[in-house]
Amino acid sequence: MKRDKWYFLMILPALAFIACFIFYPLIKGGVMAFQNYSMFNLKNIKFIGFENFKTVINSKSVNFGKILLNTLKWTLLSLIFQFLLGFLLAMLLRKPFRGRSVYCGFVFYPWALCGFAIGLIWSWLFNGQFGVLNDLLMKLGIIKENIGWLSDPKIAMFSVVIANVWYGVPYFGIMLLAALQSVPNDLYEAATLDGCNQVQQLFHVTIPYIKPTIISTVLLRSMWIVNFPDLIYAMTNGGPINSTHILGSMMINKVYKEFDYGQGSAYGVIIMAILFVYAIVYLRVTKASEDDML
Amino acid sequence: MNKKAKKRIGAGIRVLILCIFLLCATLPLFWIFITSIKNGTELYELPLVYWPKEPTLDAYKRLFTYSDFGQYFKNSLSVSLSSAIVAMILSVMSGFALSRYRKKRVKKSLELLLYFTQTIPSFIIMLPLFMLFSKLKLVDNLPALAFIYVATVIAFCTIMSRSFFDRIPVSLEEAAKIDGCNLAQSIIHVVLPLTLPGIAAIFCFAFVNIWNELFLAVMLINKASKYTIPVALNSFISKAGVSWDLMSAGIVVSLLPTMIVFGIGQKYIVAGLTDGGVKG
Repeated sequence: MKRDKWYFLMILPALAFIACFIFYPLIKGGVMAFQNYSMFNLKNIKFIGFENFKTVINSKSVNFGKILLNTLKWTLLSLIFQFLLGFLLAMLLRKPFRGRSVYCGFVFYPWALCGFAIGLIWSWLFNGQFGVLNDLLMKLGIIKENIGWLSDPKIAMFSVVIANVWYGVPYFGIMLLAALQSVPNDLYEAATLDGCNQVQQLFHVTIPYIKPTIISTVLLRSMWIVNFPDLIYAMTNGGPINSTHILGSMMINKVYKEFDYGQGSAYGVIIMAILFVYAIVYLRVTKASEDDML
Repeated sequence: MNKKAKKRIGAGIRVLILCIFLLCATLPLFWIFITSIKNGTELYELPLVYWPKEPTLDAYKRLFTYSDFGQYFKNSLSVSLSSAIVAMILSVMSGFALSRYRKKRVKKSLELLLYFTQTIPSFIIMLPLFMLFSKLKLVDNLPALAFIYVATVIAFCTIMSRSFFDRIPVSLEEAAKIDGCNLAQSIIHVVLPLTLPGIAAIFCFAFVNIWNELFLAVMLINKASKYTIPVALNSFISKAGVSWDLMSAGIVVSLLPTMIVFGIGQKYIVAGLTDGGVKG
């Protein structure tokens, strides 16, 4: 087992980085959630128990239940459409054709873009007055008057979700395409011999074979979406009338606008607790053995 | 309907849907590009101008003269390059070691720890980091920011690189050992050459993520001369709103490096991400 020692030494630098710059601040942030930590009150910081959580949950200006519901909507809608469209794209790209890798470059590049910049791009496309989207829909005769994509509280959530779907389709496209290409061809041949049609092949050959990929990509992606308020910050900053505020964007506001780090950290702890429970339930429900994940 | 016609219709539908995907993916960025070459009046003209009569690079000129965008670009490039390289080297080491570790219990818990870092919202660590930085007088220090960035990507990079090394049979190293190689030699001469695509993918992943990061940089960088590109874009948003000609020019310039990295590394990224995130 002498080599194990060497191996551990090789892991150590990476662990040191994570310990110093992720876990140490994480613990401090966790402690802050139980303190009255605010920029305007740095001299008199003390422990106040669950006060921050109570304030956040009972806030009069923002309905916490609504924030939770928004977070659920944002995550679920984004995830479903990112996955379905990504899966469709991957299926269409499974069989090689000339220029496929160039095509992939053009449809997959949003993966490499900055979330904040994507938010800016889409807020320009969605602009109520000079936005190209309204203009195009008008020209096509689909709408009669300008839609307030980001100013109408009933629509704003769907608009930010559309931008997020645009950003996320390439991720599933990339991951699922590679998984699809690992399905051995003789499985399809055997299925055809057994009289399976295309739809049956999809459900009895393709999906079972790439199930481990689906399970782990969906889990990782859903956690990333919850922790990805960058788009919302750039497009609506939670408005109009809080209709697009999610837990993460509330946290940005607490930290960057109100400088109330105690309450901001309380949001952070709530997010982590939710994700933790979610991951455990998810793994139970999908009956993923640890070997599927790790 | 005979089989041939059916097949042809199927192929037609496939091409059609692929075209729709292509348009949806490219048009938003194309529109930003068009916006960036319009002159100031065309920008806010109704009906919308779809192709500017006199395309102008005016916005780009102003971007580099009125704001210090060249400097921001350099800042971003040096931070992203250096931390991506460090993250790549460290995660190759840690990923290899994790892949070869023999004590199952230690290995499993280390892996769980790496996955756990993926659930942490980055905002919760920002303020403590800021306090640490101000205590050490490291605010506005780009190398220090680069250090933090290594930490933010290293966990996922390790997950990626471990899965890469998992695919290289241990027997290769054992053979090298019999031939008289020590551990370092067998890694450098036998294992690494086989995983070069994966290593390229790790670099691309780290570079793209670091280049795109906004909030940590906003918190840890105050001086304008030290801005990274996302921070600069953020600073273009004023209370009065956004001046879209300047902003779109800034966006186009800011997207170039990641698009180049993605363009060159696409093959490796595709292989690397899929091997990294999952075994399947």
